[in-house]
Amino acid sequence: MNLYEHEGKVLFAKIGIPVPRGIVVTSPEAVDEAAIEIGFPVVAKCQVLRGGRGKAGGIKFAANKTELDLFTAKLFGLSLGDERVQQLLIEERLSIDRELYAGITFDPKSALPVLMISVQGGVEIELVAAENPLALAKQILDPVQTYRPHQLMALAKQAGLTGPVMIKVAKVLEQLMACYFTYEAVTAEINPLVVLENGDIYAVDAKIEIDDSAVYRQQEIKALKRPDHVGHPLEREAQVAGVSYVRLNETGNIGLICGGAGLGMATMDAVYHHGGIPANFLDLGHATPAKTAAALEIVLKTPGVEGVFVNAYGGMNNCGEIGEGISKVVDALRPRQAIVVKMRGHSQEKGWAMMAERNIPVIKYGTTGEGIHLLMQELKDSMEAVRGNSN
Amino acid sequence: MAILIDQDSQIILQGATGRQGRYHLPKLLDYGVRVVGGVSPGKGGQNVDDIPVYDTVAEVVTTKHVDATMIMIPPAGVLNAAVEAIDSRIPLIVIITEHVPLHDALVIRSLAEKAGLYVIGPNTVGVTSPGKCKLSVSPASIFSQGPVGVISRSGTLTHELASSLSYHDIGQSTCVCIGGDMSKTTNFIDVLKLFRDDQDTDIVVMIGEIGGAGEEIAARYIKESKYPKTVVAYIAGATAPSGKKMGHAGAIIKDDFGTADSKISHLKSAGVEVARGLDELLEFVKHRV
Repeated sequence: MNLYEHEGKVLFAKIGIPVPRGIVVTSPEAVDEAAIEIGFPVVAKCQVLRGGRGKAGGIKFAANKTELDLFTAKLFGLSLGDERVQQLLIEERLSIDRELYAGITFDPKSALPVLMISVQGGVEIELVAAENPLALAKQILDPVQTYRPHQLMALAKQAGLTGPVMIKVAKVLEQLMACYFTYEAVTAEINPLVVLENGDIYAVDAKIEIDDSAVYRQQEIKALKRPDHVGHPLEREAQVAGVSYVRLNETGNIGLICGGAGLGMATMDAVYHHGGIPANFLDLGHATPAKTAAALEIVLKTPGVEGVFVNAYGGMNNCGEIGEGISKVVDALRPRQAIVVKMRGHSQEKGWAMMAERNIPVIKYGTTGEGIHLLMQELKDSMEAVRGNSN
Repeated sequence: MAILIDQDSQIILQGATGRQGRYHLPKLLDYGVRVVGGVSPGKGGQNVDDIPVYDTVAEVVTTKHVDATMIMIPPAGVLNAAVEAIDSRIPLIVIITEHVPLHDALVIRSLAEKAGLYVIGPNTVGVTSPGKCKLSVSPASIFSQGPVGVISRSGTLTHELASSLSYHDIGQSTCVCIGGDMSKTTNFIDVLKLFRDDQDTDIVVMIGEIGGAGEEIAARYIKESKYPKTVVAYIAGATAPSGKKMGHAGAIIKDDFGTADSKISHLKSAGVEVARGLDELLEFVKHRV
């Protein structure tokens, strides 16, 4: 779960990392009042989950009310990526001397968290890592080890920091680790971490992702509200049903329902290989009849879907229950789209029989490729039939 | 021989009295697995399917030799269960549970590595040595005994490949599902090392997927060690869009890292043939056994 900047800064502040004074506003009318309370000059920052906000015009500086009024109307109407701006963070504008970077992210190579500090902040840290790797000091973190201040100071020094700034940054690194492990983050980045003209240090941005599997026990994170405009509407519907659905291509003609993520990805690859375009990815997870039915309804609703391929295993799941879910939807909706089902494993005979009763072709022992091939053939045949009728 | 588990392995089931445990314990017994105990705190002294239940792992190991444990309990309890098994020095710990918090998995990994134990998972269907032992939730009917070693991040792809191979009369030595999460203790490279020394394994199939770097690291090992056995591979998700989570927590591409292209080119440069799909992977294996 990705946090908005203002939510991340609340966590930073609780841990003791200094953040600028700020107020979140949800309407243009509230902006002036917030700015007066904070005092000009201020910064108005769009609260969206994607990166690259500054470049896209989502951050504006205002020295007075006239300047601010000019911006706010525009910022509230702004769309960044597929997110419409609904919240602004109004913050005090600081007198910045230098911009640093501090962050902990999940290192794919070691599959462990890595703590990083660089004197090149305010830019994409991936670019720093690629172009000037020496400017980035790194420490792979062992979750059962305690890291002492002198170790963090050594890391700050390695990044090129000296004197009081080095000591203050080491403190922030210690606090950032506390934040990462306390709130069970996958990523916790401060970019930029700024040094003011008076030598003080502030986290000017906060980019935090919390592990989805840990949210249930993180009360503060659980309490955070999410506006309902994030993500595709069918993705939200799937989330409620408890299945993992990803809308893939607007031009897609093949809807997918798969029992398992790996099989889902392999099926997606096979659809392309056989000349189709997948409209969605869907992982049933632990499939009950109700979940399977909801999944099929969502996939049938996906615009452009001409054919649906169900690819499931009775391992954790049970083919009888999957068959029950499919049957319920097919009986109720009588969909015009072609459906091909490939399933085997626990209770396969039961599931196969239910499909046979409804004239749904079943791949019993064949491969995923054979299943997709059959579906593509059915689509072709039905198109030819339509053409034949119109002649 | 097989790797990790064979007909002599004595195993325990942590979570034996839970819903999943009760469903799968009879299936293990049907397969002939030597289950020497179940562990469910507070249920010590009971029996399930004639298997004695203990409150703690430590109680089992004082009286019985235990080679492996399978953990099938809800996510919130997995850290404690795994640490208990690590403290009792159980050499192989298979964590079936999905949605284990990342930070718990990291602690388990750190402790297991320090103790020198194998942890498979979390989020795995488990390990199966066909005809010998099944420490998995996989349907037994899809496997058959033979020379192909299988390593896969995905449970369903383990099933898909094993059943296709068996259907074409090609058996497997051991099928190891290393799990779909971001943090795993046992990775491709660890299982490759075991298959290298296994007399029953002639050819190794790696099924990777987008995200992470396990495949790239394995490729480097295959190249540098001049790996003595044939390895063929398939990487699922070559057509997945960047930045979207594809069901598995570990299957997410960030920027260019963890792409199918990166994995495929690393494997190819190590002399590994990489199939474009499951059907082609099956053909590769058919031509090499």
